[in-house]
Amino acid sequence: MAVVRFVAELNPEPCTGCKLCDLVCPSGAISMVARRAVVEPSSCIGCGRCVDRCPEDIMWMTERAEPLVCTVHPDEVDRDAVAALLAKAGIDPSVSVCVCTLTPASEIAAAVVKGAATLDEVSAMTGMRSGCGIYCVAPALRILEASGADMSPPRGHRWYPCTVSLWDVSDDARARYADAFIDEDRAAFDPLGQYGPLVHVRTTR
Amino acid sequence: MSHHGAALMPPAFMPSEYGPAPRPHVAGLPTMTSVPVRELFPSFDAPITEGDPADVDRVRAATRSALVSVDMSKIGPDDSVNVLASEHGFGLMGGLPYAEMVKTIREVVIERTGCRDVRLRLAIYRGFKEADEVRDHFGFAEAFEGKVKGLGPFDRGVEVATAIGPMWLVNRAFDADHFIHAYYDDPREMYFNRLLYKSFKSFCMSYARFETRSVYHSLFGNRSGSIIPRALFDSDFVQSKYTFSSVLRTSPAGVIGIDATDDLYAIDRRITAGHLATYGRMQRLFAEIDDCVAVWDGGRWGYYLHAGGVIFGVLLTNHHDSFDLDVPVVAGFMQVPGAAVNFSRNKALRGIVVNQAWVGAGIPYVTMPFTSPMYIVGDEQARLWREDPTNPLLMDRATVVDSVESGIAQATTRGKTDKVIVFDGSYGHITCNEAMAEHLCARAPEVDRVVGDELLPRWLRQRGLA
Repeated sequence: MAVVRFVAELNPEPCTGCKLCDLVCPSGAISMVARRAVVEPSSCIGCGRCVDRCPEDIMWMTERAEPLVCTVHPDEVDRDAVAALLAKAGIDPSVSVCVCTLTPASEIAAAVVKGAATLDEVSAMTGMRSGCGIYCVAPALRILEASGADMSPPRGHRWYPCTVSLWDVSDDARARYADAFIDEDRAAFDPLGQYGPLVHVRTTR
Repeated sequence: MSHHGAALMPPAFMPSEYGPAPRPHVAGLPTMTSVPVRELFPSFDAPITEGDPADVDRVRAATRSALVSVDMSKIGPDDSVNVLASEHGFGLMGGLPYAEMVKTIREVVIERTGCRDVRLRLAIYRGFKEADEVRDHFGFAEAFEGKVKGLGPFDRGVEVATAIGPMWLVNRAFDADHFIHAYYDDPREMYFNRLLYKSFKSFCMSYARFETRSVYHSLFGNRSGSIIPRALFDSDFVQSKYTFSSVLRTSPAGVIGIDATDDLYAIDRRITAGHLATYGRMQRLFAEIDDCVAVWDGGRWGYYLHAGGVIFGVLLTNHHDSFDLDVPVVAGFMQVPGAAVNFSRNKALRGIVVNQAWVGAGIPYVTMPFTSPMYIVGDEQARLWREDPTNPLLMDRATVVDSVESGIAQATTRGKTDKVIVFDGSYGHITCNEAMAEHLCARAPEVDRVVGDELLPRWLRQRGLA
């Protein structure tokens, strides 16, 4: 759960429509209307990245009258479906996917089971990526991938499909990097041996 | 009365919009002193600089000397070359030594190859304006004839086929015919990288998209994660552009030289062996601190501020031996099954006083104020922390104080400790109060013996370096 206290605002008059704010928005809260940025407050998770990114310095964060609470409660969805999804992704339900909001993997998976089909939608529903915006991304993408979501990268460079995990390392790679503790870490992080590689459909350009 | 005398001033740091207006340093307080790290551990080599601006000529000379034997034959006069520099280097001893190495690399490449298209690429973390600040503060625009660009994890990526699968680097880092890995060997988060192929880390962090960084942090263990930067470095794409590495070598005493060659694996072996002997001793010495208050007092994120060359994050996690590779997970590693979050709780850390430091801006201290009381000096800093989305809960628990003296007094009283250690960016010495100085000096000889006789041989053996 994330309690979002701030929201992005801007002075649209000097906006040049460069889209840089849009590209770094983690929750799809910014759109371009008539070549000017528009913020949708109900989707803004208050990360402030757009304010820092704006080359015109025409954006700022302002405190919300009431905080926006972003969460998906486990009771809202089928718990067995959440467990099955995380098992397929090879991610323990209890680990904090987002270490800024302390959002556990179970809540990310619950958002996907509830209907989130993109990284933006997962972020908007749970508030993950409202902090550093970085370390939570691969587990969330992997959960989406395990759900069968379309992993084609969106236009621009919002995100790329990069979800390689400990469970995916091939025997050849394991042999090449024999001192990388692959087997040892698999045993440490999956003592019951329940996780395996995710079958990927990826392209290498 | 201190037996070490008045405290030495830390290196000047780069002003930044990501931190508060500069304040007087804690080292200026009459209760502070400085403990030389070579007094604690006499085996440490004398440095060529602890960051004094007057020493940059030594760094320049050392860089030129190290580059003499480097093969630059891949670089033709009509080629383009990116010198890849990373942000944490500019947090070492005020950043001047690293900046001087970077500038000298350019000069030597031009002299040796005739190549004029030598560009600087400044890899930063989250602050989009940080690269401009670095460029201006260190005079890089002039030194590189305007060929300077920043790059960060949110910039356009380039897909790279590796032995473990496709991964994404930042395109701008590799938009030249060749690149030079201009690195520094600060071990920083020893609990995370565990000195396993640390010299390669930039390839999955500084030069990488955020998805790749996330894979490194969140989808591998902190031992097995060492495969990622190596797989990227060894990829055909990276190798097709790689020329050589030049590394600013450090110990807790300061800059000890420059290591340069095209064989990054060889550099890494030298760095790892040296670091285990020096930073390993410092880490174990910090583990001997039973109770203390820490003060943040520098121009970077508090987590990455140094005391005696060791970052605050190591103090936070030092209750585990980060270098013992027989232990799968040590304090500080975040993704641990069965634990909602594994942020460290070091019970010896009785309080944190923030005199000056960058706010979170991407560095989460989410649970720290719940376990170690935090005291923020001044309303300006308090406002910055309140608005920091990375640490939304921090100011719910932190206390605002009107002076650093008041913060230290409250923290030591509440924490029932008389020891204070200051993370102010210092190498060569630790800024602290007399009680801490006496404690460190008393414990260092036994730490020196235990590391030298017992731990170091094991650490080296575990890494194939014995």
